[in-house]
Amino acid sequence: MDPFFLWIEGLPLSVWLREATTFWAFPTVLILHTVGLAFLVGANVAIDIRALGGMPGVPLISLRRYYRWMWAGFWVNAFSGVLLLIAYPTKALTNPLFYVKLAFIAVGLVVAQIIRGYLMRGDVGANIAAPPRLRLLAAASLLIWVVSITTGRLLAYTCSRLTVDTTCG
Amino acid sequence: MRIGLLDVWTTVNQWIYDLWMSVMQWDWLNDHLRSLLNTLYYTPMGEFLRTSTWAWPVFESLHFMGMSLLAGTIVMFDLRLLGFARAVPVPAMHRLIPFGIFGFLLNMSTGICFICATPDQYLFNAAFRWKVIFITIAGLNVMFFYTRVFRRLESFAAEHHAPPIGARLVGGVSLAAWVGVMSAGRLLTFFRP
Repeated sequence: MDPFFLWIEGLPLSVWLREATTFWAFPTVLILHTVGLAFLVGANVAIDIRALGGMPGVPLISLRRYYRWMWAGFWVNAFSGVLLLIAYPTKALTNPLFYVKLAFIAVGLVVAQIIRGYLMRGDVGANIAAPPRLRLLAAASLLIWVVSITTGRLLAYTCSRLTVDTTCG
Repeated sequence: MRIGLLDVWTTVNQWIYDLWMSVMQWDWLNDHLRSLLNTLYYTPMGEFLRTSTWAWPVFESLHFMGMSLLAGTIVMFDLRLLGFARAVPVPAMHRLIPFGIFGFLLNMSTGICFICATPDQYLFNAAFRWKVIFITIAGLNVMFFYTRVFRRLESFAAEHHAPPIGARLVGGVSLAAWVGVMSAGRLLTFFRP
């Protein structure tokens, strides 16, 4: 894989992201990735709290609108994530934890879509109490995002190679 | 000469820096702050975070979870105040706020632990100043919300009613302030002295 990593690390965009001292390079990408995370996980948290009984007066179906913000957050993070990957491909792709993080995000998105299916069902959407299976899904969703966040944060501490030629730490 | 956005940014940042430094050089505060920070630095928690390999990453993860709780409650409520997702009844959605307070307290405690571990890294950090300012704006906004807007919440609680200007203002300021807090927080590492 090293020739592939070397090729990406030599791209002008990769060099600029890593080495430019401007605010608009790495710092901005990291800010986007953090704010995107807040909207992606935040929208899920609100929906999960409702499904688990945290705000009983809110009709389940009315929360469907927050999926727009969830997906907006996801796309901001897919975009900024690809930029971070272009900046440091070796760092992420040689770390097994990175694949764990991606897998958990994928499962989290699938669970969110299954939950959406429940919200849109007429009989569930108007009800006060969520059915047991929806509660279980909401609890799983919270756990999945906790793991995604933790693995994501740990990437900075568990990498072995920063670039093809340099090691981490 | 044209005055660009960058000049405004530089001027405002310089002004806040000067203000912060004048506060930092205020003897009375300095003496108290220094003795407090000395106490904090030598607390078991500060020591633990500095010496343990995994404590810092775990606390950071908790800090991000607190952020997600804040985003899932306060930010989603702000969006509702701005008129988004009008089918959600506002008084019922207000039940989210205790979860947001929990997220805020989680982040205050983990944040204080970070400051205990390396106080100088934060107190002389431009990004930290911005973060404190944004948190203050968010706090004042909450006070304005509960003293001026909250009582009239029922009036636009009905489905599909446009929120009044006061609610939109509070929602907009809060949303901007929290995005500011997150951005400044993420920038902390770039402004370490």
